[in-house]
Amino acid sequence: MNRLERTIGAVLRSGTVASSSLFAVGLVMALTGYRDALAGVLLEAGLVILLATPATRVVVSVIEYVRERDWTFVVLTLTVLLALGGSIVAAYL
Amino acid sequence: MNPLNPVLAVIIFGAGTVAGALGVALGLGGGIFLVPFLTLALGFPLKSAAAISLSTVIATSSAVSARRAGNQLINLRLGMVLEVATTAGSLLGGITAQYVAETALQRLFGVVSMAVAFAMISRINRRNVIADPAADPGRLGGRFYEEESGGVVTYRVRRLPLALVASFVAGNVSSLLGIGGGIIKVPVLNAWCGMPLRAAAATSALMIGVTATGGAVIYYGHGDLSPLLAAPAVLGVQLGSWSGSRVAENTSVKWLKLLMAALLAVVAVLMFLRSAR
Repeated sequence: MNRLERTIGAVLRSGTVASSSLFAVGLVMALTGYRDALAGVLLEAGLVILLATPATRVVVSVIEYVRERDWTFVVLTLTVLLALGGSIVAAYL
Repeated sequence: MNPLNPVLAVIIFGAGTVAGALGVALGLGGGIFLVPFLTLALGFPLKSAAAISLSTVIATSSAVSARRAGNQLINLRLGMVLEVATTAGSLLGGITAQYVAETALQRLFGVVSMAVAFAMISRINRRNVIADPAADPGRLGGRFYEEESGGVVTYRVRRLPLALVASFVAGNVSSLLGIGGGIIKVPVLNAWCGMPLRAAAATSALMIGVTATGGAVIYYGHGDLSPLLAAPAVLGVQLGSWSGSRVAENTSVKWLKLLMAALLAVVAVLMFLRSAR
């Protein structure tokens, strides 16, 4: 298995575990009405991690292709990252 | 924050479970069912339904791909190339939404889904793999260990421009319809671009995360994506991808193709119904 695939697997796994854990705890707290304010913070954090996970996957791909000096794929992955950046800009316009 | 009661949480959890299972088997995020379900059955506004659906798509993509990374099914290089077309389509999605009437888009979607379903059925016995493990997969092809034939198989990617167009369209309608676009890419990659179904599904499952993020971020920024509603969906995806992977691995490609064709036919009908409303 190549390095990039391993790194991507690790990024996706940690993002998934982190967001799911935060969601599970936050959801139980919200449904039982236990410390609502904290539940809100946990859920919000889970959502931000969920949204950030695919973008992080693209970032580590850019880094790995730079390491491999595979410039075609550096350009391709950077383009994807740029487009995601465009969405973030559009989100807060 | 939207009100959430335990019953609604269970329903959204169940929808997430279906999405996770479909993600493992066919590389779909399940948004194509979730959005009509949330809007038609539960009366959610389209925006809120699309936002929840997109978060399910992201969760499916990350969970399924994390589970799968390392078994060579995901074609990373092809995925990265197609992602450029997808994100470009996604960015231009807003423009399409402005100039094309939603009903026209839905009808077009229905017609295309039907056509692709027929293409899948007519090629149900055709395999895209080369059994020779030493065969050259080309710049974008790949090889992986296939359980069914018990050996390493190779495939080449053909008609790349068509795959790019399919990815562009998938990204284009993604945020508008609240889907990841696997329903468009997987059949095209399998029927016309030379990819074995399992490899097409795995590659699509990875891509839909990035596709959906573009749209989801915009909904989030505008306050249309509630974490309280995303939470049960994401937890459902975990269950679905975990249990679905066992079933999917033991299901033959032929059955998976039939399932895909059936789903496409359902989608076509749903789209015609929506356009007629």
